[in-house]
Amino acid sequence: MPPKRARTPAKKTDDEEPVKVRADALAPTLDLAEQIYGQLDRGEIPRMRLPLRTKQNISFQSREGVWKLGRAMGTRSARKLDGALMLLRTFYLVDFINEMAREGKTSTLRELYYISEAWEDAKFHGEDESNLLIEDLEVMCERLREDFRLHPEENGASVIGDLTIKERNRKGVVKKINCRDDVGDGGYSLPFNVEKEKIEFVSTNAKFLIAIECGGMVDRLAENGFDEQHDAILLHLKGQPARSTRRFLRRASEELKLPVVVFTDGDPWSFRIFASVAYGAIKTAHLSSYLATPSAEFLGVTASDIENYDLPHDKLSEQDIRALQAELTDPRFGTAEWRAEIELMLKNGKKAEQQSLAKYGLNYVTEHYLPEKLTEMGVL
Amino acid sequence: MSPPPTIAQQLAAKQREISVAEFFERNRQILGFDNPQRALLTTVKEGVDNGLDACDEARILPDILVEISKETDDRLRVAVTDSGPGILRREIPNVFARLLYGSRFHSNRQARGQQGIGISAAVLYANLTTARPARVTSKVEEEEAAHVLELVIDTQKNQPRVVSEDVTLWDSPHGTRVELVLKARYVRGRQSPYEYLRGTAIVNPHARIVLVEPDGTRVTFERASTDLPPVAKETLPHPYGLELGELGYLLKASKRSGLAEFLTKDLQGVSARTARELLAAAGLTNSAPPASVSGDEQDRLLRALHDAPLIAPSPEGLSPIGSILIKRGLRNVLGELRPEFYCPPVSRPPKVHAGFPFMVEVGLVYGGGLPADQPVQILRFANRVPLLFQQGACAITNAISNLDWRRYGLDQKGGSGLPSGPALILVHVASTKVPFTNEAKEAVAEDPEIDKELTLALQAAARHLRTHISRKSRRDFASEKFAIIQRILPKLAEKTSHLVGKGVPDLTPVITRIMDIVNVETPFESDKNGVRAKVEVTNYTPRTRVLELFVEIPPDVFPLAVFEPVPDGVEAALGRAWWTLPKLGPNGRTALSFSFPPKTDVEANDLDWYVAGIDEAHILGAEPLPGDWDVRLPRTIVEAAEAAAADAAANGATGEEEVDYDAAEASAHTSEED
Ligand SMILES: Nc1ncnc2c1ncn2[C@@H]1O[C@H](COP(=O)(O)OP(=O)(O)OP(=O)(O)O)[C@@H](O)[C@H]1O
Ligand SMILES: [Mg+2]
Repeated sequence: MPPKRARTPAKKTDDEEPVKVRADALAPTLDLAEQIYGQLDRGEIPRMRLPLRTKQNISFQSREGVWKLGRAMGTRSARKLDGALMLLRTFYLVDFINEMAREGKTSTLRELYYISEAWEDAKFHGEDESNLLIEDLEVMCERLREDFRLHPEENGASVIGDLTIKERNRKGVVKKINCRDDVGDGGYSLPFNVEKEKIEFVSTNAKFLIAIECGGMVDRLAENGFDEQHDAILLHLKGQPARSTRRFLRRASEELKLPVVVFTDGDPWSFRIFASVAYGAIKTAHLSSYLATPSAEFLGVTASDIENYDLPHDKLSEQDIRALQAELTDPRFGTAEWRAEIELMLKNGKKAEQQSLAKYGLNYVTEHYLPEKLTEMGVL
Repeated sequence: MSPPPTIAQQLAAKQREISVAEFFERNRQILGFDNPQRALLTTVKEGVDNGLDACDEARILPDILVEISKETDDRLRVAVTDSGPGILRREIPNVFARLLYGSRFHSNRQARGQQGIGISAAVLYANLTTARPARVTSKVEEEEAAHVLELVIDTQKNQPRVVSEDVTLWDSPHGTRVELVLKARYVRGRQSPYEYLRGTAIVNPHARIVLVEPDGTRVTFERASTDLPPVAKETLPHPYGLELGELGYLLKASKRSGLAEFLTKDLQGVSARTARELLAAAGLTNSAPPASVSGDEQDRLLRALHDAPLIAPSPEGLSPIGSILIKRGLRNVLGELRPEFYCPPVSRPPKVHAGFPFMVEVGLVYGGGLPADQPVQILRFANRVPLLFQQGACAITNAISNLDWRRYGLDQKGGSGLPSGPALILVHVASTKVPFTNEAKEAVAEDPEIDKELTLALQAAARHLRTHISRKSRRDFASEKFAIIQRILPKLAEKTSHLVGKGVPDLTPVITRIMDIVNVETPFESDKNGVRAKVEVTNYTPRTRVLELFVEIPPDVFPLAVFEPVPDGVEAALGRAWWTLPKLGPNGRTALSFSFPPKTDVEANDLDWYVAGIDEAHILGAEPLPGDWDVRLPRTIVEAAEAAAADAAANGATGEEEVDYDAAEASAHTSEED
């Protein structure tokens, strides 16, 4: 069930025309209401069926190279209190987004959380709950949350490098921006919507894109002029990457044909960051073909880097060990390479930060480590 | 023309010396006086036990007053006053100031006191620790005034010494007050006089007990019943429980002309034929007067008695609390904890251990304010006396620990040891002779017969608990369904109707599908105008129901009940009434009401509701009619029930098994990222 985008791609000719939500964007939400209404009318216990979004129910799509939802379905039924509440919530949400569409408004996820205060029994008890329900709705309606006019607060991953884009700003004015020459030291900040109607790629001279976990490392590479020296685009992941960041990477890889490498700390949590960039996250497996960048490669810090470069390290904590063990049962890490990497880290019992490379001086990472690793990977 | 002897005179006639005393001066720890805190408790206990024993024997409703006040830093004054028959002047010195002087040692009936040590030991302790005499005031009904005696014990001779004597006016017709000053320490909490009196109040609901604590706090355990406990009849000693010394004593005291007569008349359980046979077996002749039997012959006689097939000891010497009073007593004292469940108390039939009759009673209380995360509370009693010490060494505790409570709904690590959960277990062992682990009567000793009865009684109570817990989980399940149909479904219908722009559909079919039960609601109100209750039966099932509703009420109050409408049938002797309810379609409801006049002694729990025409899985708030009721149900009801059962069987196969989406998601939600 590949999610379809409701929005038409911006046409090349009418750049200036403001984008409208297509009339049928919310139609599937009303179909859901129709379905439940019909059940109630026929005297059936209301229920919905939806694919399970669990580790056991994702499978590898070799054609697309991403992990997607499998076929196992679950039922949300009013027979149980939890199920009944979720059904009720679903329709408060559907009502709310249809109302927003009529009034031409959008809302942040945080605002939605507060809006739900008025939903009595059906109110959300945390943002997790609202996020999960929105994802459920995405799956059932084959739409994206942007179609539902819901978005996170801007968490703007930043981009530095020779990439020229056109961005349509709030007022509908299109601006051309070069992410090296037209921005400050903080780089170009990604908006939450990075779709074509918002951002268009114009040109780039870069040869690859390097996605980096920590801000300090992005700054180090920028200060050392790594982007210019090696024709690289630097992208700051800001920890677990937001949807817009992953979508941007996917588009850059697909449309600009840029190799993407991921440079993180060497610990189990960073492995998961890579997995969500490359293969998709389990909770958003329904969006994998849209958000994942299957060609992305892990640069490091690897378990063997910690040994080979003799990096300052910490001992794995109990939690780290449990996380690594969980990764061994995660189908996304099912390849021989990843198993070997995880097992090596478990065996050595060590983890290290990206910035530990500074042990050999501030230039070491740009002059030795990255060139060596990138050459090894065939990027340079 | 002398008046018939009063109770006090009768008691006095039985008082006699049992043995010597001085030994105890040096062994006061075995009597429960080894530290100041325990000495206080033991003193209170000896005084109160005697007061209750005296009242029970004299068939008087006990009024017990315990006053504890501070004398100096480490000395307390303890005064125990009872409303008993009083003690004759000439007996007072021996009762209070002579060890091993008592009326119960050979009485073979259930009493709190059994050794003739208790109160004199307390007096002795007071004498030894403060050099202050005991002050005893006692009035018997036939005298105008009360005698006041100050007493000390001559520890060399085990003889009372009267220090001073007076008479005084006493404001009630009879009673006894003993006042002691002793080295002691007052605490409240575990193993305190408070805990002891609270336990005493539970198993003696016929007693009114007042405690005045050193700081002036006055605690009253009100009487919960004015019924006196059944009289424990005095019985003859049974040979199986005899020891050599005692047999010798009985032989010596016997006035019978021959041994056969002694065996059949001074002992219980020996028939004339058995007497002849066992005398032959022991190589004794009938002609010998009992007093002349030699030590060696006594030995042979006892062995023959122990081997002979005798009639079991009579249980007439027992005075159990009884299930009604156990429940009342627990309710009276634990009321403020609002337990959700009082298990019907279990009273086992009398059995015999080592020649003595005994019986076991168990009460169990669950839920409410009882702490859920701690080991269960155990209230141990022997002959209506709370046991506060040596819990771990007691046969009662062991029997509880050896039961696998997990099967009955309580937590228990590994299926043995003390269970934990919001429960309180009361166990009462009643016997003409309770086997204790020591002289301070702190714990029941192990005995295979007693252990067997304890286990059976506990299991019976535990089964009630299991039923309650499973019913409760059914109620929780139902209240979840009520939340769905009352709070969520109407809104879901409203929202979806609004979204599709159509009218709200009739929810009856969905509601009945979700609930699929017939609910019987039995709210119960009682105030000074009497008891009123309305019974509402709602058919939350998708099919039409034809039902018969039954109520069972304690037969003594049944005639007072007024029903509206008039029942279709009654069986007053059994306290039963029943109605054929009007046909109830899906979501249909019917009601009936009843009332009792003011002051009727009846509670919601006393009424049991049953329904015929439906199976257990589809009924809530009442039970399906038990099979042994033997009533002829109307044909319509039988037919409707059969049709419903056939339908259920036919539909059972199509019940689709589906994965609950939210449950699966919740269990998969571990440390997964976004
Ligand atoms: N308050 C009282 N009213 C009437 N009689 C009493 C009272 N207190 C004691 N007696 C009589 O005095 C006797 C001796 O009492 P004591 O407490 O010493 O022994 P006991 O109660 O027979 O046995 P135990 O040693 O087990 O307590 C009792 O058996 C009873 O006959
Ligand atoms: Mg006594």
